[in-house]
Amino acid sequence: MAITPLSSPFFEKREVNSTPQNEEYAIFLKNISKTFPNGTVANQDVTLGILRGEVHAILGENGAGKTTLMRIISGILKPDKGEIFIDGKPVKIRDPRDASRLGIGMVHQHFTLIPEFTVRENIALVLATSPWLDLKKVDEKIAAVSKDMGLEIDPESKIESLPVGKRQLVEILRLLCQDVRILMLDEPTSVLTPIEVDSFFKMIMNLKSSGKTVVLITHKMKEALQISDRITVLRGGRVIRTIPTSDANEALLASLVVEGMLPAPTLVRGTPGDIILKVESLKVKDDRGRIAVDGLNLTVRSGEIVGIAGVAGNGQKELVEAITGLRKVESGAVKLLSQDITNKPTRFIIEKGISYIPEDRMHRGVVLTMGVHENLALKCIEKPPMSKSKIIDRRSMVKNAESLISKFSIKASDPCTSVENLSGGNIQKLIVARELSNGGLVLIAEQPTAGLDIKASEAVHQKLVELRSMGVGILLVSSDLDEIMKLSDRICVIFGGKIVGEFMPENLDVERLSRLMLGAE
Amino acid sequence: MVERQLTISRGTKRSIVKALLSVVLTLAVTSVVFLINNVNPILAFIYMFQGAFGDINLASETMIRMTPILIVSLGLAVSFKCKIWNIGAEGQLYIGAMLGTIAAIGIGGGPLSLLAALVVGAVGGLLWAAGPALMKVKLGINEVITTFLMNFVGIYLVQWMISYPFRSPDTYFPESSAIPSSSALAVILPGTRLHLGVALALALVPLVYFLLERTTFGYKVKVVGENPEAARYGGMEIGKVIFVSLVFSGLLAGLAGITEVMGIQFRVRGSLSPGYGYTGIVVALLGNNNPIGVALASLFLAAIMNGSSTLAWTMNIPMGIVDLMQGLLFIFVLASEPLVRFLERRGVLKL
Amino acid sequence: MIEFLALTGLAAATLRVAAPLLLASLGETIAERGGMLNLGLQGAMLVGAFSGFMGAYFAGSLWIGLISAIIGGILTTLLFGILVINLDLDQVVSGLAINLLASGLTLYFTRVLFTGGVSPYLGELFGPMPIPFLCNMPVLGEVLFTQTGFVYLGLVSVPLIYVLLTKTSFGLRLRSIGEDPVIASYLGINVVKMRYAALLAEGILAGLAGGLLTISMFNTFDPRIVAARGFVAVSIVILGRWNPWGALAGSLLFGFTEALSLRIGIIFPELSGASINQLFALLPYLVALVALVVGGRGVRGPASLGKRIGRER
Repeated sequence: MAITPLSSPFFEKREVNSTPQNEEYAIFLKNISKTFPNGTVANQDVTLGILRGEVHAILGENGAGKTTLMRIISGILKPDKGEIFIDGKPVKIRDPRDASRLGIGMVHQHFTLIPEFTVRENIALVLATSPWLDLKKVDEKIAAVSKDMGLEIDPESKIESLPVGKRQLVEILRLLCQDVRILMLDEPTSVLTPIEVDSFFKMIMNLKSSGKTVVLITHKMKEALQISDRITVLRGGRVIRTIPTSDANEALLASLVVEGMLPAPTLVRGTPGDIILKVESLKVKDDRGRIAVDGLNLTVRSGEIVGIAGVAGNGQKELVEAITGLRKVESGAVKLLSQDITNKPTRFIIEKGISYIPEDRMHRGVVLTMGVHENLALKCIEKPPMSKSKIIDRRSMVKNAESLISKFSIKASDPCTSVENLSGGNIQKLIVARELSNGGLVLIAEQPTAGLDIKASEAVHQKLVELRSMGVGILLVSSDLDEIMKLSDRICVIFGGKIVGEFMPENLDVERLSRLMLGAE
Repeated sequence: MVERQLTISRGTKRSIVKALLSVVLTLAVTSVVFLINNVNPILAFIYMFQGAFGDINLASETMIRMTPILIVSLGLAVSFKCKIWNIGAEGQLYIGAMLGTIAAIGIGGGPLSLLAALVVGAVGGLLWAAGPALMKVKLGINEVITTFLMNFVGIYLVQWMISYPFRSPDTYFPESSAIPSSSALAVILPGTRLHLGVALALALVPLVYFLLERTTFGYKVKVVGENPEAARYGGMEIGKVIFVSLVFSGLLAGLAGITEVMGIQFRVRGSLSPGYGYTGIVVALLGNNNPIGVALASLFLAAIMNGSSTLAWTMNIPMGIVDLMQGLLFIFVLASEPLVRFLERRGVLKL
Repeated sequence: MIEFLALTGLAAATLRVAAPLLLASLGETIAERGGMLNLGLQGAMLVGAFSGFMGAYFAGSLWIGLISAIIGGILTTLLFGILVINLDLDQVVSGLAINLLASGLTLYFTRVLFTGGVSPYLGELFGPMPIPFLCNMPVLGEVLFTQTGFVYLGLVSVPLIYVLLTKTSFGLRLRSIGEDPVIASYLGINVVKMRYAALLAEGILAGLAGGLLTISMFNTFDPRIVAARGFVAVSIVILGRWNPWGALAGSLLFGFTEALSLRIGIIFPELSGASINQLFALLPYLVALVALVVGGRGVRGPASLGKRIGRER
């Protein structure tokens, strides 16, 4: 993809006196540090200025401390140390209301809309100042701002009925209704398709031309280069450098984002064998009883990675849960080899050889308060050697843990320590270790690298490829298109609970992929 | 090498500190209450201790008092570990006692009747818990509400049964007929009332410990309690685990009821239990749902109960002090977790 | 043939015995809309009944009894607040702890204050307050307009609380906290303050609900006076779908069962007899259980109900 910089040349020549008191800085952070109670150092001596009216990209990989920094500015977290200046004046931001009064608003990665409320109620929630709800006034405000920004949103619609991309617009609409001057957007494009990203960026330019300051948090270099005026790279909680975008290029940014050189990934394509998993005209309902998977057909062969590309909320979650027996199938069938596993108990499906790396690893993948050895036995506790005639063999559990810990280089103080003492990356390694050691036929990997840093992600990718070469069929569900494109032997696009298109990676058409993801075909 | 480690794990150490802390705080607040009543708290606690353990007779009475509490709370520990809050043990205990008594009278003596009565009593408690368990598993209705309401249904039902259909013909007060003397649990310490039920209760401690720590059922109870979503993902039938742990607690509550009848009271009266079902809740939590902890906690509560009756006639402190101390203990057990965390952060405690 | 007068009497009694359930379930509705499952409602009612009686008895004034009932209710729900809001402890267990503490406190102090642990009777009670003119209407006059102030208060509170929850900024904020307290706090809503406000309201209502048992209904205090009314009120909130009008409907249903179980002999003379009467005492609880089975399945309450907020990670 060609990168067309949208930034104006204006900033390139702008000489700025970089003292916190300079009023040209909408935000100036001075020596901000933050350490979490569990010992993670998220920010260390961060000093950084955001100029008024610019689009400033904060670039860094997962875990670099970008989100923490923005949460400090928006008053959700308190820094351990350091000062914040807004328009050249030192301020204390104790809670989100302080930030809001200063004209700062943030769009979080996890949206802060109440799903059960309507758009109007969500906006009324932040505008309400009088004891009585004045919904008419709220409607007027929504209409005025929507017109300015060219947004079309029905204030009556319930948030839970809106697609994710639209929800993000509601978030922004709400900030604009609050007359926010500085918008901070945390990975806003992660819920958008490539086409939507283009129109989203146009809207950001719109915001900029109407005088707003935009801070864009991203881990994607292309985005930063495309939209921003200046880029600040964070790594390990520290500012590595702030540079005008016109002076930056991908190679330079890559060297700043990642410490040291990464081994270039040498990925080979798989050699698919026979079909092992077959999904036939599957229908599944979501939590609220609506059809989420709507007559879906899919096959996975042995030794093949099938990537499911799609905007979140198009039935991916329900598809995976239906295959793994966690959700009831309304009609259709799931077949493993020749066996029908439709609506079979989860335990039966596990024993037949379907492994599953869940997206929500903290809530689904592990029991945080239990030991590493106990978590590693989660799926085989009923079988020897873990237990014999319902009596547990603790020694086997520990032995199993010791061998997996060394095989997957999980960092744990001892095999019986509580999982809550492990870092996020190591918890993911634990889950991968458990699911890979089961010796299954099919592995379902749901967002397997979300939230991991580049090295940990690479390790997970290598394991998936290794498993494929052993003949396992892998269904990779990811909202990270780069990941899908890098690993898949076949890419299936999901929209509205159906597979709407299929690509082989060698003749991938990103334009068409986007249109399919949006249901435009 | 994974030999049995003699060192106590950090988690265990923490829960011991928490339990001790809540006991100390409870005694401290109780002291204030004593002072308000113009009673010297130190003297009061000494009297209490003497009342509970002063001589062999008093000590065996305390053990007798401990028996139903221990049996009930061992069951509750299992359901609490599964995060299932059975607060209907009181009703389950009464139903168990009633049905067991009917069985004992019906069969009419002999060693078989003894065993049959125990089994019927336990099963009665189990059945009384099965309703709320089904409602929880099949309909998702909060078990706290249903088990509590079942207490009232059960206790009124037993009240009616001992007033009319099963009323003893020879007494003035509503109570059931006595069980045959051959169905009574044998006295194991001559000269006292210490009966076989005490041994039964103590024998249950290692059994429940084994159930929780060394069986796949215990493992599943822990996973379901800590993270039901992970349990589902791991292929466990959550409903089954919840059902079994709830009816298991009912089973032991029923057993506690019939043991109390067969060991001490020999008939069902309205005053059979002074709230053992509720005391069991506090005991299970104070013992951190660990059978050994639960055993110590039930001895502690039994000592308070028996000791306070001494206070009633020596220092004019009403028996209600037991209930007050139970309530305080419950609050402090809860608050001890954040308190310990606070002390750790301040560096006062190092665990 | 059922006597018509007995039916009018039954209707009037329904409202009378529904009043404590209505007040309590309205309070619980407010708390649960804010995401707090307060099983300590039972304890708050008990403390309200206790402090109401003691206030009325020792000060010799029913009004002081009324005020102390309210204070008792508030103190109890605020203690619940400390446990679940400040210390972020499990809501269910905290509620149970409150109940046990409340019963311990009231039992102990009743025994300290009155020999034998039996409280005396109050000289006077808050009796029926007929509303002029309206009380002369046929049937309705007796059923609806010859009731105690507590009944009127409960009935008037229903629309007021409905408006509070749906038409005010306070209600919208409270409901947002009930759905997701973390999001609400991101939006700058003070979750702690709002939840305490909800508990304050619940404390007032629960205190009144408990107080009316002693200073308007039974004339005496007994540590078992609340029976399971607190838990029945929590069931009513579920059956009423967290809506004040639903709470009214549920309270009337249970009020009716209780009134019926008390008067079964009057209405159906052929069923009377001490043996049956005693069995009818368990009817309201059985009805509550059946109602939960029929009406409590698959209902979705506020999303954060009963959940801990969790600490900063």
